[in-house]
Amino acid sequence: MKNHKDNTVSTLGMWLFLLSEILLFGGLFIICSVYRYNHSRIFHLAAESLNRPLGALNTLILLTSSLTMALSIFFLKNRRSERSLFFLFLTIFLGLFFLSNKYFEWASKVHHGVYPNAPVLLERERGEVLFYGLYYSMTGLHGLHVLVGIGLLSVMFVSVLRGKIDHERILPLKNTGLYWHLVDIIWIFLFPLFYLIT
Amino acid sequence: MISGEGGVKTYIFVWLSLVILTGLAVSAAGMDWGGWSLGVALGIAFLKSGLILNYFMHLKDERGLRLFRWMIPGILAILILFIGLTFLDVAFR
Repeated sequence: MKNHKDNTVSTLGMWLFLLSEILLFGGLFIICSVYRYNHSRIFHLAAESLNRPLGALNTLILLTSSLTMALSIFFLKNRRSERSLFFLFLTIFLGLFFLSNKYFEWASKVHHGVYPNAPVLLERERGEVLFYGLYYSMTGLHGLHVLVGIGLLSVMFVSVLRGKIDHERILPLKNTGLYWHLVDIIWIFLFPLFYLIT
Repeated sequence: MISGEGGVKTYIFVWLSLVILTGLAVSAAGMDWGGWSLGVALGIAFLKSGLILNYFMHLKDERGLRLFRWMIPGILAILILFIGLTFLDVAFR
């Protein structure tokens, strides 16, 4: 009974952290929508230059990684640690896949001289400077979250492998899962904001 | 027999719905719906996050504290309040 209560409190603590993350990104979303309102024409043009198929592919990758994460927790709960490890590995792989796509996307923009404070960019209109500033900081902050998530997932992988986390002590894996799903949800809002709404 | 909150089938079904909703959002963005496109894109995003919150993150199964039920609507209310106040300032400046 005591254990159950501890679990509830731990889950609640994790949720409080996730809510603070929502507010962190929420603030950035508000900044973005104000600048979009003020510079709607230029934001429209800049958003069209982003690689929409690649953004959609990254969305599918993160959605699938959410599925594999949920399956990993499900199988560990049912004492199938090999399957759990397999899906955990897939989740880590998909996270890395997402980041490598992000790398190529950024690299092609940087190649065209479009990066914060770039001389080419600074000569353009103010709205475009703002758009790319927001694009790099928001997808960058999200990418950082994915990177941290991959680190946490790797720690979980080793812990499950060594038997430190099992069907009775599953809470760390569950909380890591909550974090990973939240990172997915943030991307679900970033994707239409930058790639779809033009 | 494998059991637990939400079986494999449920997860795969939720994932399929998420993929279909993504496809809808992308194809809707390809059409010119004027002022509606923002609403459609945001509506689909909210629907998708609702699915993830309830099924992958098991928010609907959290019975430990009543607080769980109010957290997400609460944080959304705060965000909407801030967005509303910000735009009252920006739009009527």
